Parts: sequence; C-alpha cells; structure tokens
Amino acid sequence: MIKLHNVTKKYAHFRAINSVTLEIEEGEIYGIIGASGAGKSTLLRIMNLLENPDEGEVVVNGQVLTNLTSKHLREARKSIGMIFQHFNLVANKTVFENVAVSLELARFPKEDLRNRVVECLQFVGLENFISKYPAQLSGGQKQRVAIARALANNPQVLLCDEPTSSLDPHTTGEILDVLEKVNQRFGVTIVIVSHEMDVIKSICNRATVMADGAIYDTISIEPKRMLGTDDSPKYFVEQLTKDGGVDHA
Amino acid sequence: MPEILVQYEAEIWSSIGETFVMVGVSILAAVILGLPVGTLLFLCRKGQILENKVIFSSLNLLVNIIRSFPFLLLVVFLIPFTRFIIGTAIGTAAATIPLAIIAIAHYSRLVEQSLLDVPKGVLEAAISMGASVKEIIYKFLYVEARSGLVLGLTTSIISFISYSTIMGVVGGGGIGDFAIRYGYQQFKTDLMMYMIIIMVILVQLIQFIGTTVSRKIDKR
Ligand SMILES: Nc1ncnc2c1ncn2[C@@H]1O[C@H](COP(=O)(O)OP(=O)(O)O)[C@@H](O)[C@H]1O
Ligand SMILES: [Mg+2]
Repeated sequence: MIKLHNVTKKYAHFRAINSVTLEIEEGEIYGIIGASGAGKSTLLRIMNLLENPDEGEVVVNGQVLTNLTSKHLREARKSIGMIFQHFNLVANKTVFENVAVSLELARFPKEDLRNRVVECLQFVGLENFISKYPAQLSGGQKQRVAIARALANNPQVLLCDEPTSSLDPHTTGEILDVLEKVNQRFGVTIVIVSHEMDVIKSICNRATVMADGAIYDTISIEPKRMLGTDDSPKYFVEQLTKDGGVDHA
Repeated sequence: MPEILVQYEAEIWSSIGETFVMVGVSILAAVILGLPVGTLLFLCRKGQILENKVIFSSLNLLVNIIRSFPFLLLVVFLIPFTRFIIGTAIGTAAATIPLAIIAIAHYSRLVEQSLLDVPKGVLEAAISMGASVKEIIYKFLYVEARSGLVLGLTTSIISFISYSTIMGVVGGGGIGDFAIRYGYQQFKTDLMMYMIIIMVILVQLIQFIGTTVSRKIDKR
C-alpha cells in the first residue's frame, strides 16, 4: 500500500531521513518508533508529501506521488487521511464544519454531505457534539473529530503523527480502540508514529525502529493492549500499589 | 442644540459627508486590495505555501516605504499620480487616492500579522486534505484568522479617520479640516471642541462595533 524507495530528506546539509526503503502492506497497522529527533515525523510526512524528499520514490496505493503534478497530488491526498498530535482542527469551525470541510474539498455531493458527516461522527461516538466548537471539547474528543474528518472521504491510508501523545493513558486507550476499529471495519492501512512503546505494542502488527534518520530494525508483533481503558479509582490505586510497599496514607 | 452648531449645520453635515467618503474609500481599498496584499505577504514568507523571496521582499519593501512616509509628504508626492487617475489633485475625490494607498499598506500589514497567528498545524491539516491554495485561504486561513482580521480593520479604520483629517491641504474637506479652518483658524474654540467630540464619538463607536464583532466570531 505504501512503498518508500531510497528516500532521503535533507535540511541544509543534515540528513533527517537517510536513504530509507520500506514497504507497508494493505490493511496493516504499522508503527514507527524511536527517540525524539530520530526522523519519525519526517518519514511519516513524506508519505503524503507534506515533506518533499530530496531523493527517492514514494508510492501510495499504486500512485507514484513523487511524479505527480500538484493538482494530481492534491487528489491523491484525499485518499490519504492524516491526524496529528495537536489535532489541528479549525477552532472557528464547529465539529460538523470541521468534518464537512474535508468532504467539500473532495467535491462530495452537497445533498448527501450532512448524512455523511453525521455518519462519520457516529462512528467516533460524537454525534451529540455536532454544533460544539473544538474549544468546548476534551483532547480525546478533539482527536475523534480529527479521525472523523480524516475518514470522511474513505481513505485507503491513515497517517497518525503521535496521535495520543498529548492524551492521558485512559483516553489514549480509547483513541487506539477507535483506530483499531477504523482498521478492522474499513480495512484502512494505518501508519502510527509514536515515541511511546505501549502505544506501538498495543495496536501494531509490525513496527519499525528508527534512529538517526534510518531504519534500525523492523519487527512483526502480536498487538496486545497495554493501556487499560479502565479509569476507575480502584484501577489507579491498584496500579500505584502493585509493585509493593506503598502506604495508604 | 448650541447656537454655533445650528449656525454651521450645513457645513458640518457636508464635512461629515466628506469624511465618510474619504474613510469609506479607504475601507474599500483596504478590503479589496489590502487583504489580498497582506495575504500574499503571508503566503510568500519563508516556509509558507507560496514561499517566494522576490515577491515577499518587494511587497515588504513597498509596504514599508509607503508606511514610512510622513503622510503629508505622501499626499504631496502622489499629486502627479492623483492627477493622472482623477484628473485633478484637488478636492474630496482626489483626496481618496493617497488615502487608498496608505489604507492598502496599513491594512495589509495587519492582515499579515493576523494570518501569522493561525497555527501552522491547521494549514498542514488543510494541505493533507488536498486543499488548493484558494481553498486554504478561504476555508482555513480567513476562517481561523477572522477575529484578528476584523480587529485589524477596526484599528485601520480609526487610522484612516485620523489620516483623513489632514486632507484639507488638498481641499479634501472632512470633519478635521472643518475643525481646523473654522474652529482653530477663526478662533471658534467651542466649534473646534464640538468637532473633536464628533470624532471621539465616531472612533468610540467604530472601536465598540469592531471589538464586539471580533469577540462574537472568535470561537478559539
Ligand atoms: N523543518 C525542519 N528544518 C530543519 N530541521 C528539521 C526540520 N524538521 C525536522 N528537522 C530535524 O530533523 C530531525 C528529525 O525530526 P522529526 O522527524 O521531527 O523527528 P521525530 O518525529 O522522530 O522526533 C530532527 O533532528 C529535527 O531537528
Ligand atoms: Mg515527531
């Protein structure tokens, strides 16, 4: 579904990405992990050409993005969804409008637009927040809106740049559930960048470890939810005391 | 109503009318040309979607030059140009030309600043959704920056009123000119005070409307 071939990205003389080749299969949930500054975000952003590589080829869904004209690239991007650490919603648009804009950009038929937006918001469990503004939502809710927005045009691929890194563990678990559901229900190929090992282990079938702009290793894994969606006080106390020796003050 | 206002009622109304024409044209110029110029300044900056050093530097220089002229000198400097456009360099219509030019320069800078406040991530999201430059501008940039754009226009309009007061030098008329000619030069201090009061009320009103509207449309 996604192929990078000998991709290099330079900032001045610094090689942020150094000749990376990788292939991501259709339907995979693919993780990219590594230290801060390893080049994870840059690599992800190359997959929809948000960053233009200096060398190499980027192929998504059979299309060589690096050869497309800017018009065709814009079209191709409509089937590559993306979500971000800081959600990047339009603060002056309602939840409805934030999702609707992605459909408008794709010239979605006006008469069906409302239904499609509601359908997407139902999928992420926010149908009751349609006329709220992002400032009125929690972080987890904002990320759900962003997911609904990214899914509206039925993308084949969803790129996620630290999608849970500004969320608490409980909300992180919920967002990972939604992403998993996106993958299973619609067969969307998901690429998820994170510096949190638990996130990668929870959801990915395969993960690449990056270091210094290159791939260090790629491992197939059996996803196992590490992050409880339990946020009862009992759970917190258990977690706090489980490694022994803590007084109930 | 005070005697002196009744006495000069006709002149006062026509000077108010002249001020409205001059400020109105300035506002139109600011919105129709200053907004695009400011948007272009923003988009051509380093790291932005239309990054273009030549366009950015030339526009930036032009706006700076216009804004660094003492306004009175700009009016004089533009006389040949005004005469070319309007046919004369004297009168209210002629006065609108230098006002329009300073209006474009003034508002474009404030537009650029408002757009710089839009989080970069929002534009990245727009690009990732396949938005064209035009769509990025109208569906994202202006939506996200709208309260700043309104507030900037408010500040600009108040400056335009101030600029318009000196257009008496080219026979532009207006409230300021009236206050100087009748009030100051003919020692009718009370008349001058009344004109200043009118200006104060006008400015307060515009500021109030601008602040209210910008607060209302700001959902951030
Ligand atoms: N626009 C940029 N200009 C210069 N250097 C950059 C830019 N973007 C990223 N880098 C550098 O590239 C390297 C990789 O960045 P990034 O992909 O954001 O890392 P990660 O997401 O793994 O933390 C870092 O050293 C960063 O400083
Ligand atoms: Mg990163």
